Amino acid sequence: MNHTDERLNFIEHLARWINWPRFIFAVTLIFFLTGILFPFYWMASSSFKTYAEIGGRKPVYIPSALRWEAYRELFAYWNFDVNIVNSIKVAVPTALIAVILSTMGAYAVARLHFRGKDLLTNGILVVYLFPGILLIIPLFAMVSRIGASIGFEVQDNLLVLVVMYLAQTLPVALYMLANYFRTIPAEIEQAGLIDGCTRIEVIWRITLPLAIPALVSVAIYTFMIAWNEFLYALVFLNSRDLFTMPIKINTIFNDPSPRPHVVMAASTIMTIPVVTLFLALERFLEEGLAAGGVKG
Amino acid sequence: MTGSTPNDRPRATAGGWYSLQAQEARLAWALILPTTLIVFGLVIFPAIFSIWISFSDVGLKNLNNVFRAPFVGLENYRHVVNDFAFKFQGLESWGAAVTSVVYSFSSTILTLIVGLIAALLLNRPFRARGLTRAVFLFPYVAPIVSVAFVWRWILDPRPSGVLNDVLMTLGLIELPRAYLATRGLALALVIVFQAWRYFPFAMLMILARLQAVDNTLYEAADVDGANSWQKFWYVTLPELRYVLGAIFLLRLIWTFNKFDDIFLLTSGGFGTNVLPVLTYQFSFKAFNFGKGAANAMILLLILVVFLIIYVSTVMRGTEE
Repeated sequence: MNHTDERLNFIEHLARWINWPRFIFAVTLIFFLTGILFPFYWMASSSFKTYAEIGGRKPVYIPSALRWEAYRELFAYWNFDVNIVNSIKVAVPTALIAVILSTMGAYAVARLHFRGKDLLTNGILVVYLFPGILLIIPLFAMVSRIGASIGFEVQDNLLVLVVMYLAQTLPVALYMLANYFRTIPAEIEQAGLIDGCTRIEVIWRITLPLAIPALVSVAIYTFMIAWNEFLYALVFLNSRDLFTMPIKINTIFNDPSPRPHVVMAASTIMTIPVVTLFLALERFLEEGLAAGGVKG
Repeated sequence: MTGSTPNDRPRATAGGWYSLQAQEARLAWALILPTTLIVFGLVIFPAIFSIWISFSDVGLKNLNNVFRAPFVGLENYRHVVNDFAFKFQGLESWGAAVTSVVYSFSSTILTLIVGLIAALLLNRPFRARGLTRAVFLFPYVAPIVSVAFVWRWILDPRPSGVLNDVLMTLGLIELPRAYLATRGLALALVIVFQAWRYFPFAMLMILARLQAVDNTLYEAADVDGANSWQKFWYVTLPELRYVLGAIFLLRLIWTFNKFDDIFLLTSGGFGTNVLPVLTYQFSFKAFNFGKGAANAMILLLILVVFLIIYVSTVMRGTEE
């Protein structure tokens, strides 16, 4: 008796709370969350299925148990560990060098006066307009020309990718950092200069420590771009030992015998660091996203 | 990027190698030189270089000696324009040029609409809004390879594909369908995928603008007895005009240039071949780099023409 009373109360409460705008709001929100999260759930859950579960007549919505079959195949048969290491070898140097170079450049743009600054900064931003596919043909020709002239295989080289990714990420990194440097009052630096520090000391001791949030977010963006990049890696890497994760996943996907669970396992491994980084540092990464930190 | 406030530091007389001004300029150049070299060497120079390639006969044999490649004038361009993969041949076969335009415009508009709805949704206060907003960004920050392949797996043509299973259980279809291998449907799905992946970008920019809208405008509308729809139409939307125009432009450029998404979803088959994918096919499948470069130049040209029209008509109206 008591129990039904409570239920009635609850329905009454709900009926009083709900109105059209709230109903539409709730339905839309659920629609969005399902649409966004289901593919990620499907990716992770498929990676824990067996080949029988993957190849059955009906999709298995909830795997019977956490099975590591796909992951075992990924590492034992496909040597995915090599590809993880390659991706790290590309993404970490790209992020570090991009932060160093763009800090230097951004400081010059934000604080110093020199002739040709406008032309230079606008020229660097034009990069935003050029399609990667347009640049890849001449870059490919240049790389093979350099390779032919110094007799050294330039093409199959992770270093080439690092340099290419730098060219793609530096302009935005410079733009984001320059904007941040402008928000640091110039008076603080002038106080340092008056106290007898040199410019370099001022940058090192005063400006950089204040800019750490911006430096971290630029590092993460460039890391993400290098980590996720597909086209350049596809064109410039030929040997399987040098494949970064995206190219390797593409190879596994195109294997004559379809193995979606293995593809999903590899995709999960590749997605987790990016999404985790993002969730952890969401607050200061959002601004950079809106500024076009991730081009594309 | 420009227009920073000048340092009011006293300066030595202008000019001269040792003047403070000259020292400052030298330091500035030293600081920005590495970035400049990399960007000019690997973006600006190749861009100009590709004009040269598009007028030359470049294949695998003479790839490492492009400057000696035979000059062929507009031959590459003629080959591209006459290629059945490029040109429009009626509604059955659109060709990459028309497909590209249709694809980028529809994707951009759909992305804007979904982004606007998402922004309006998240502009209301509710519990766990911060977390929800972070989750809404997932499709945009996750690696393209992962999300493209999970969508292919959801759209799998076998009965074990999720969409096939759902639609068959609901009785909407009798037999499993190959969604990404059906002309028309494939293009529509690729456009929906674009909206799914890129709406967070639009959402973030719109959200930032929404939070800056002066609240007194809504109060004034309340006084005038406006309902929510009228408030949206006469207050919110005009306030968003500029930001919507900017997102439209950026997304259109990026979508038009985009290679990965279509390459990974359909490899350009079944009526989804767009100019970037076609450029790739000319260059790295047929190894005709001259033709590829010509195709890429046409892509850039279409983009530039559109930009000029857009900036001179639409943007002029919204500039404040």
